[in-house]
Amino acid sequence: MKQARERREDQPAFVLHAHPYRETSLIVEALTADYGRVALVARGAKRPRSELRGVLQAFQPLTLSWAGAGEIKTLTRAEWRGGLPLVAGSALLCGFYLNELLLKMLPREDAHPQLFRDYQSTLSKLAAGAEQAPALRQFEVQLLAQLGYALPLTHEVDSGLPVDPGARYYYAFDRGPRTLASEPERRYPLVRGTTLLALAQQDFSAPDAAVEAKRLMREVLDHYLERRTIFSRRVVRDIQALDEIADEDDDS
Amino acid sequence: MEPLSSLEELTQALRCLPSVGPKAAQRMALHLLQHDREGAQRLALALEAAARGVRHCQRCNTFTEDEICTLCRSSKRDATLLCVVETPADLMMVEHTQAYAGLYFVLMGRLSPLDGIGPKEIRLDRLLKRALDGAVREVVLATNFTNEGEATAHYIAELLAARKLKVTRLARGVPVGGELEYVDSGTLAQALRERRLLAN
Repeated sequence: MKQARERREDQPAFVLHAHPYRETSLIVEALTADYGRVALVARGAKRPRSELRGVLQAFQPLTLSWAGAGEIKTLTRAEWRGGLPLVAGSALLCGFYLNELLLKMLPREDAHPQLFRDYQSTLSKLAAGAEQAPALRQFEVQLLAQLGYALPLTHEVDSGLPVDPGARYYYAFDRGPRTLASEPERRYPLVRGTTLLALAQQDFSAPDAAVEAKRLMREVLDHYLERRTIFSRRVVRDIQALDEIADEDDDS
Repeated sequence: MEPLSSLEELTQALRCLPSVGPKAAQRMALHLLQHDREGAQRLALALEAAARGVRHCQRCNTFTEDEICTLCRSSKRDATLLCVVETPADLMMVEHTQAYAGLYFVLMGRLSPLDGIGPKEIRLDRLLKRALDGAVREVVLATNFTNEGEATAHYIAELLAARKLKVTRLARGVPVGGELEYVDSGTLAQALRERRLLAN
């Protein structure tokens, strides 16, 4: 069946990633407010004097217009919307991580207006220099919720009882926290009640809550990512390793 | 399937060049064979020699046929300055300005997690070693002003700053001869945020 040709004008959007296409063009993966993730060909965007060159950058609010019928549409206009400072320094790597999650988890052309707002507000926090880990955890929870995998965090799956901050639970993927007794196979990540509640309330002030929340979210995300790995995590690890190697050289 | 004829093989091979599609490749192949056999021979030899002989400079990582490139060997360059660029083309642009007398390090890329390029792929360990050779006093980061170039600059700065080196970044803003009316809004917005003090 032939898809109807569509034309969209001036849609709020963010570029997630762009890769070269043919000689002078780019394929841009963008997150839009009302049409979800869309793939657009930016014709001539790689030419030296193309006006699109500087505009099609990630982490900046844009308005995009496009037309076309297939899975990949043609970008007809891109404008810088502004209002957000540049994401800088180590926050850039957080930004790449958000974009990688969206590219790997969000199917194309599934509209999630709330996710778009969540993404924009996460970027604003990162650009403003807010603490990065809580901002990332919050977005991970929001992303899963928008994709239909909302995480039960406050009540036990089996009994429906509220999570006890002092107890430990197995976090069963797709289901939620289970007491140690109800999960004899121990297949799932072990997590403290305080960490679950920290994620639910987005308050990571309790000792070790941030570290444990990061680990839990990583395992939960890996479950939904199946075999796709998140390369941004490796980059962070490799940079830390490099810092340590250089330190050893200093000492010698 | 029949093996490719020499003409077909040449046409296919030419398509590895940027901006060369099937039509252009065919035109080039026919031109070489029809009008310029001598040029074709020369091209073949030059390609063969370059593909075999060109390697990376041990000091700056740019292309050279020697162990160490001429620029790195030159006694006229200021060995206390090291400029970090993404590509040999960027090195040539900085050279063209005649505003820089130091040495270079060419990353041959930039950090780009979404393309699977991390610190290992751009050999940041080699840059660290080079910058910490004892002679270098200032590292000038001239990676691109894209998110990837900025991230690359940030992490190099972090790695070097802890080691008593001065680290600088190219300035960014309105271009020389730029009229505000025609400058793009993103550049102007950043120029405002990074405005500098002229008088107090």
